[in-house]
Amino acid sequence: MTGVSLSRWTMSYFAVALAALVLGEALMLAGYGFPAAPVRAPQTLVLVHLIAIGWLSLLLCGALFQFVPVLVARNLHSDTLPLPALVLLVAGLGLLLCGFLQLAGTIAPTPSLLPYAATALAAGFAIVLYNLGRTLWAARPLPLPARFVAVGLAGLAATVTLGAIFSFAFAALLPSEALAAIAASGLPLHIIAGLGGWLTFVAMGVGYRLLAMFMLAPELDGLRPRTALWLGAGALAVAIVGGLALALLDISVFPALLASAVLGTVSLALYGADIVYLYRARKRRIIELNSQMAALALLSLATAAVLDAVLLALGLFFDQIGTLVFLLAFGWLGGLGLAKLYKIVAFLTWLECYGPVLGKQPTPRVQDLVVEARARKWFLLYYAAVWSGSVALAIAQPLLFRLAAGAMLVATIAIAAQLVRTRLLSDVAAGNRLPKGAHRPHLLISLAATG
Amino acid sequence: MTDIFVDLDVRPILRDGGEPLSEIIQAVEALAPHEGLRLLAPFKPVPLFQLLGNRGFSYEAREIGEGDWEVLFHRSEAPAAADPGPLPKTTGAGDADGWPEPVRHMDSRDREPPEPMVLILAALETMEQGEVLSALLCREPIFLLPELTKRGHAWRGGFEPDGTTYRILVRNGGAHDAAA
Repeated sequence: MTGVSLSRWTMSYFAVALAALVLGEALMLAGYGFPAAPVRAPQTLVLVHLIAIGWLSLLLCGALFQFVPVLVARNLHSDTLPLPALVLLVAGLGLLLCGFLQLAGTIAPTPSLLPYAATALAAGFAIVLYNLGRTLWAARPLPLPARFVAVGLAGLAATVTLGAIFSFAFAALLPSEALAAIAASGLPLHIIAGLGGWLTFVAMGVGYRLLAMFMLAPELDGLRPRTALWLGAGALAVAIVGGLALALLDISVFPALLASAVLGTVSLALYGADIVYLYRARKRRIIELNSQMAALALLSLATAAVLDAVLLALGLFFDQIGTLVFLLAFGWLGGLGLAKLYKIVAFLTWLECYGPVLGKQPTPRVQDLVVEARARKWFLLYYAAVWSGSVALAIAQPLLFRLAAGAMLVATIAIAAQLVRTRLLSDVAAGNRLPKGAHRPHLLISLAATG
Repeated sequence: MTDIFVDLDVRPILRDGGEPLSEIIQAVEALAPHEGLRLLAPFKPVPLFQLLGNRGFSYEAREIGEGDWEVLFHRSEAPAAADPGPLPKTTGAGDADGWPEPVRHMDSRDREPPEPMVLILAALETMEQGEVLSALLCREPIFLLPELTKRGHAWRGGFEPDGTTYRILVRNGGAHDAAA
């Protein structure tokens, strides 16, 4: 088999992910979790995992089922496995959030749901890793963006493993002292593996390719992106492997984190230089909304990287970790996710619907499925709200933060509504919406893949 | 590799009611191997694309304002007269050995995906069974390939030695023959 088919369950992942984002923003608007509650309070854990697993991880999994095949020009190992994985991940997330509510005293504390949550999540992510891993393995040697994804998947494995150890620790089910030592000091490693390893690395790899593709820029390879890859992978290895070693020796993990931060910052700087080059070397002078809005996400990443270095230098890192994580999660990863969703949903829907009749009948263009002018204002509101929210967190103004969360919620719902309109072809002129032989897309699944 | 373009502005000829085709052919025949033709016309000269395509030229057309067009014709990487030669990666249904010379040449390297896919599928609809289309792309057309197979066209493609240009040959309806 050559070429790539549409991934059947990707739209379902996107839909669940957006629902989780809306729910998370509603909780922030309601003042649930950080900053009203401490960073490590169970309420904050509910919020953090709803966003990290529900929104960002499901978004990335859905995207990877489609784009790992694009990166390596070969079909996904299994187009069926994403469904059981989704069921396990959603069930696991639900159990995890209930487990945290048990810790918060909101619901009855026994029996502890956290071990069940960890088991379901680990099983779900294991299926995802197996499916993507088999696809990548069959395509060796990997092109550069796929190597970023491979490192990201290793980050996911580390994150889930650490998370599972914590879950069993909460339920006092850990069989060994070594695991208890990891549970005691492994939290920063869990965060770095998840936010830096899994989410950021995958976004970097996919970003290299998607930006090049959508802006008609050259595919990057060579010394600089390779150095970014190896330094970034090194940063993760130092943080996770080094951190675990220190934790087991019962020494502070801080030196490993500092060394990792230095390596990671250099890696991000090289990545930033590459991305600036991609924007400059593009052949397409007028770029589409998704690339414009991705630039704002990259700006958020650059800001977070600079802020990270400044805070470390000033010794304020741990005071402002909430601000940093918020800016990275919503400005960088969330912003990039929404921007790329706007293009990906339109493109995949176009291909699914009009692919069978291309060249035979006049068909709308991909851009006819969207109305960028209408979406632009919601994207701008989203970023303005995220940046205001970051400032509100930095200067400890909880009310301002809730207002910003409310604006994010409105913007997200409006962007999601645009995506639904795209999927339903609502913005295509009625006359050429469905030429004879075109396939009307279903909102949540892509059936054309079986054709 | 085309590095020099000879200019030919046919707008005055057409404005005076003349027929520029013979001038164009003359200019093309006078081109050295490394030369191309920069044609300025008051409309998009679509018939020329096929005509010069048959002589081994690919083209890049762009509107330069007020309805005028600039078209750069340069010799394709695959001259029509020459054997297509072994491609770095051969995949797809069928084997290009014994395929006829391409009747259509397309240079879609500067077009944004999925435009090349649309143009290739549209061109194939206008071609006879067994005819071959040659196209230059800036990346592997991963979503096009299954659609070609689904429609019964045979193809083979691969990156040129420069590593950035992907060349694909598609034989219209060829898969039926290959399967037979």
